[in-house]
Amino acid sequence: MLRIKSPQDLGAAVVFMAIGLVGVYFGRDLSFGTAARMGPGYFPIILSWIIVAIGIVVGLKALTIEGPRIEPVQLRPIVVIIAAILAFGFLINAVGLAITAVLLTILAAYARRDVKPIEAVLLGGGLAIFAIVVFVYGLSQPLPAWWGR
Amino acid sequence: MEFDFVQNLATGFTAAATLKNLGFALIGCLLGTLIGVLPGIGPIPAIAMLLPITFGLDPLSSLVMLAGIYYGAQYGGSTTSILVNIPGEAGSIVTCIDGHEMAKQGRAGAALGVAALASFFAGCVGTVFIAAFGPPLAAIAQQFNSPDYFSLMVLGLVTAVILAHGSVIKAAGMVLVGLLLGLVGTDVNSGLTRYTFGVSDLWDGIDFLPLVIGLFGITEIIRNLEQRTLPRPQFNARMRELWPSKRDFQESWRAVLRGTGLGSVLGVLPGGGAVLAAFASYTLEKKVAKDPTRFGRGAIEGVAGPESANNAAAQTSFIPLLTLGLPSNAIMAIMMGAMIIQGIQPGAAVMTKRPDLFWGMVASMWIGNLMLLVINLPLIGIWVRLLSVPYRLLYPAILLFCVIGIYSTNTNIAQLVLCAVFAVFGYILLRFGCEPAPLVLGFILGPLMEENLRRSLVISRGDPMVFIERPISATLLATTLVVILALIVLPQFRRTRKEAFQE
Repeated sequence: MLRIKSPQDLGAAVVFMAIGLVGVYFGRDLSFGTAARMGPGYFPIILSWIIVAIGIVVGLKALTIEGPRIEPVQLRPIVVIIAAILAFGFLINAVGLAITAVLLTILAAYARRDVKPIEAVLLGGGLAIFAIVVFVYGLSQPLPAWWGR
Repeated sequence: MEFDFVQNLATGFTAAATLKNLGFALIGCLLGTLIGVLPGIGPIPAIAMLLPITFGLDPLSSLVMLAGIYYGAQYGGSTTSILVNIPGEAGSIVTCIDGHEMAKQGRAGAALGVAALASFFAGCVGTVFIAAFGPPLAAIAQQFNSPDYFSLMVLGLVTAVILAHGSVIKAAGMVLVGLLLGLVGTDVNSGLTRYTFGVSDLWDGIDFLPLVIGLFGITEIIRNLEQRTLPRPQFNARMRELWPSKRDFQESWRAVLRGTGLGSVLGVLPGGGAVLAAFASYTLEKKVAKDPTRFGRGAIEGVAGPESANNAAAQTSFIPLLTLGLPSNAIMAIMMGAMIIQGIQPGAAVMTKRPDLFWGMVASMWIGNLMLLVINLPLIGIWVRLLSVPYRLLYPAILLFCVIGIYSTNTNIAQLVLCAVFAVFGYILLRFGCEPAPLVLGFILGPLMEENLRRSLVISRGDPMVFIERPISATLLATTLVVILALIVLPQFRRTRKEAFQE
């Protein structure tokens, strides 16, 4: 009976095999060529197969050698932080750095459980001013400061 | 030769020691230390985060500033290790052992002082080392042909994998995934796009900045937020005197010399660098000590040795990058990424075509080290106070600067999406016990490796024997084989590796 002894290794094995197979599958239209005339698919497809092979080895290891368990994923931090990054991207051109920075700071504060809203707003305001002074005026980065473009 | 050495350094100092560049070096050191001091942020995320602000400068100024950031981040990391026992990166773990013990005994000042002086001394030697061995190595590099480059990259990646944190086989997987990611975009030879999945933003390849910031900066924030108790530094270190006593000097100067020598040599090796040097130096100090039981209980040699070793190695690991154009570890990969963004392809050609740039950078390393010494000793009080800023106020700021940095380099939302994708990817991989550092090295080397493989096989008409017919390439591959065999055959080697990386 197969028993997973190292969940972490199994996870890594799945990731590696998936990446390798994606590499092989999406590389199928690229011509492989010959060694003397390497096609655009030559190197990536060889790499992909080696990655698959490593995935298999790691997978076998997961079934034979005891290893640590996977730490439970906490959704809150990762979801909120990713949302904050994307929100910045969608807001910056519409409303400018000042408002975006405040909103990002407030949103990011919710990545933790016990949020202090007033503190987050104050921090956001401070960071917005700092960011505008340093990045827009100091380093003259191409960012709209006060309103969208 | 003697004359060249002096003249080269003179060229460098004239280029680097302008008021403008000194200013950037100062800002770099300050910012680097500032970020490096923050608990849980090592040099890699620190450099990644600060990278964008150097883009607007001219090439030399930006490199001068980057070098400052690097040394600052490293020194900042040591400060945190000593004061609060939170290593920012693998290299400072060793400093934690005895450094923090000294701090607990009320000798934090002496530990910080010795760390700063040892680092400065090692930095000076490291700079001279580069100035002395850079040109001859560059001359050797000119003999290198495509097969030799390819074999050198194989050796570098294999040693990097073996010296990486955690499982060897997973690190190997990460390097290969990095190589594959490096190939995304338009193939220079056929003009065909590869693995772009119809996304036009990927035609030029995956951008370096969203990748490193996503994998290191953002993943780091998420990981810190997950800990129930946020890295909340606590220290009761009394800062009575910063200057080490005469006895401290007597006890540590030999360790500094040994650490510097060891670090200078280990830094040059492919896959080597600051982390390896620090570990090796600590082990060496423990071996040569009259009373090894003192280690772990506040032995000053345990701070002086590793601190000088990691700083010496931090300097000399620039040698392979500047002479061969090949980064030997993840930090150098980031430096290389920054140079390429500046339009400089690192390699021996830089030394001959842009001597001001090459020697300017070498000179700036020394200037950076001097500045660190000058600013850190008086400013230590400020850095200490910074440590007590709670993480809940820090991470929104770090996040904001990361996204501004990414967005302002080419004002494209796709970059932020890419960054988010890599943050999630890096997070998942960390959950499965895969460290991201080898991936970055692979990512930078991917296109270079393919190009050199292609050229080699074109020369040999497809005959793979070309890699063992050329003496340089054959030697490098033989070394690779020896390294791999050592790992498989020698259980002792494996054990040492395991011990060294235990946290």
